[in-house]
Amino acid sequence: MRAVAGSLHGLVGLAPIAGLVLAWQVLLTAGWVPSALLPSPGAVLARTVASLGDPAFLGHLASTLYRLAAGFAIALAIVFALGLAGATSRIADAALRPVIRVLAPIPKIALYPALILSLGFDDAPKIILVAADALFPILLATYGGAGAVEQKLLWSARAAGTSRAGTILKVVLPATLPSILTGSRIALVVACIVVFLAEMITSTDGLGYLLVRSGRAFQTVDMFVPLLAISAVGLALDGALAAARRVLLRGFPEEE
Amino acid sequence: MSEALSAPLAGRGAPAVPHPGPPMIGMAGVTKTFKRRDGGTHLALDTIDLDVAPGEFVSILGPSGCGKSTLLYIVGGFVAPSGGKVTVSGDPVTGPGPDRGPVFQEFALFPWKTVLGNVAYGLREGGLSRRDAEARAGELIERVGLKGYERFYPQALSGGMKQRVAIARTLAYGPKILLMDEPFGALDAHTRIKLQNQLLELWERDRKTVLFVTHAVDEAVFLSDRVAVMSRQPGRIKEVVAIDLPRPRHRDELLLDRRYQRHVIDLERMIEDPPDLAS
Ligand SMILES: Nc1ncnc2c1ncn2[C@@H]1O[C@H](COP(=O)(O)OP(=O)(O)OP(=O)(O)O)[C@@H](O)[C@H]1O
Ligand SMILES: [Mg+2]
Repeated sequence: MRAVAGSLHGLVGLAPIAGLVLAWQVLLTAGWVPSALLPSPGAVLARTVASLGDPAFLGHLASTLYRLAAGFAIALAIVFALGLAGATSRIADAALRPVIRVLAPIPKIALYPALILSLGFDDAPKIILVAADALFPILLATYGGAGAVEQKLLWSARAAGTSRAGTILKVVLPATLPSILTGSRIALVVACIVVFLAEMITSTDGLGYLLVRSGRAFQTVDMFVPLLAISAVGLALDGALAAARRVLLRGFPEEE
Repeated sequence: MSEALSAPLAGRGAPAVPHPGPPMIGMAGVTKTFKRRDGGTHLALDTIDLDVAPGEFVSILGPSGCGKSTLLYIVGGFVAPSGGKVTVSGDPVTGPGPDRGPVFQEFALFPWKTVLGNVAYGLREGGLSRRDAEARAGELIERVGLKGYERFYPQALSGGMKQRVAIARTLAYGPKILLMDEPFGALDAHTRIKLQNQLLELWERDRKTVLFVTHAVDEAVFLSDRVAVMSRQPGRIKEVVAIDLPRPRHRDELLLDRRYQRHVIDLERMIEDPPDLAS
């Protein structure tokens, strides 16, 4: 029953995507947009599939994935450290909250030139940028969740013999996990965007670099391949997070 | 009142007789003030004096907002009193501890743990191996009538089942005192009666000391050895009524029992009285 309803949901979700592709094709067929500027969806799809057999393309894909993963891991580690500090010490908590609020709205990409100057053109500035941009959505969601932990859960644990410090790992962390994962899903989208942008600005590899290189050569079909690829990467990673969520949060109500 | 108190106590489950040692729970001059938003203070509990003997079942009955929960939280060590003293077996309460097991109206089960994991939690914290803890938890789950639900998560259970898990989770670590805050308040009438019966059975078997908060008069009379009636603003104990009904108690017999009916009527009147008439 649930599986049927689920696949029905999936089909309904596909409809607007199909509509977009159709509109794209109509633009071309009707001649509103010259095909020299906008390639056909079929051509883009065919080129993308073909690229999957191209070691050079896979190398670019791997670079982007590596930066995403490394940046994300750093962001999560920082969230964990700051969360722990905030949960154990009132002073740390009071000191952290304002600075996080102040830093969160700053467009991290604006720091990119400075990062390049200090760290060079390699992976490091891109990874740090991804980490900086992924950090805040997760952090803000984590703070929200940790602040909303039901007091009686803490009391129940304390009465059962858990020390005050023990409740951080045994109650606050698991109770906050749904928020951490929700924040992570938002952060993932931001991370995909920013890694691509960084690669567009300065890079010698990665999906963003591919787009810029194709653009310079007026290879319009090739310009769309990295876009399709980053979309697929985001979709796949989001799927992985959703799967992690289902396993980790079996006891919690479902999100959507 | 004095008649009832001095009358011979019938049945196996007679209320605890005055005890030579220190009371299981001693509340002496307990007050609690809360800061109000406007900067003033709100006196939620005013000089509460109440002793509970070992093995006694005492209910706190009173209108909403009279401080019942606050008093229970103070005995639990979750909230510090503004004044006065709470002792357990003569020792001052300084924080929560496994000698006092709370059961909350909101169940407060760990949603990330299964029924088995919830019930085993306190046993694991007490140092038992996973295997021993789960074996013991399994027995308790069976005892509260939830065999077969060990692997379920709380969200998949009904309110009544959740509260039975919460009771099992608390019983698991062997507290000598149960602190129950309107444990059946969120349940439908049918489930509520079922759980009252089950609680009585459990209690008549191992005679823990119970401090039970409720605003349901019939529930208080049905379960308790004594009922402390509270009034509101400030929260005070207005009167303590001994319930001279034989044990084991059966609902169908009690409902026809004149003494039961009398108690219900008297207590209902006491609650309805405006607070200032009491003092
Ligand atoms: N943390 C708090 N801060 C401020 N005021 C509080 C706090 N907790 C309780 N109070 C106040 O203290 C009084 C007693 O509250 P309490 O929850 O103990 O009442 P209660 O008898 O349990 O009520 P109910 O039957 O509705 O559960 C209320 O007036 C309430 O507003
Ligand atoms: Mg209450």
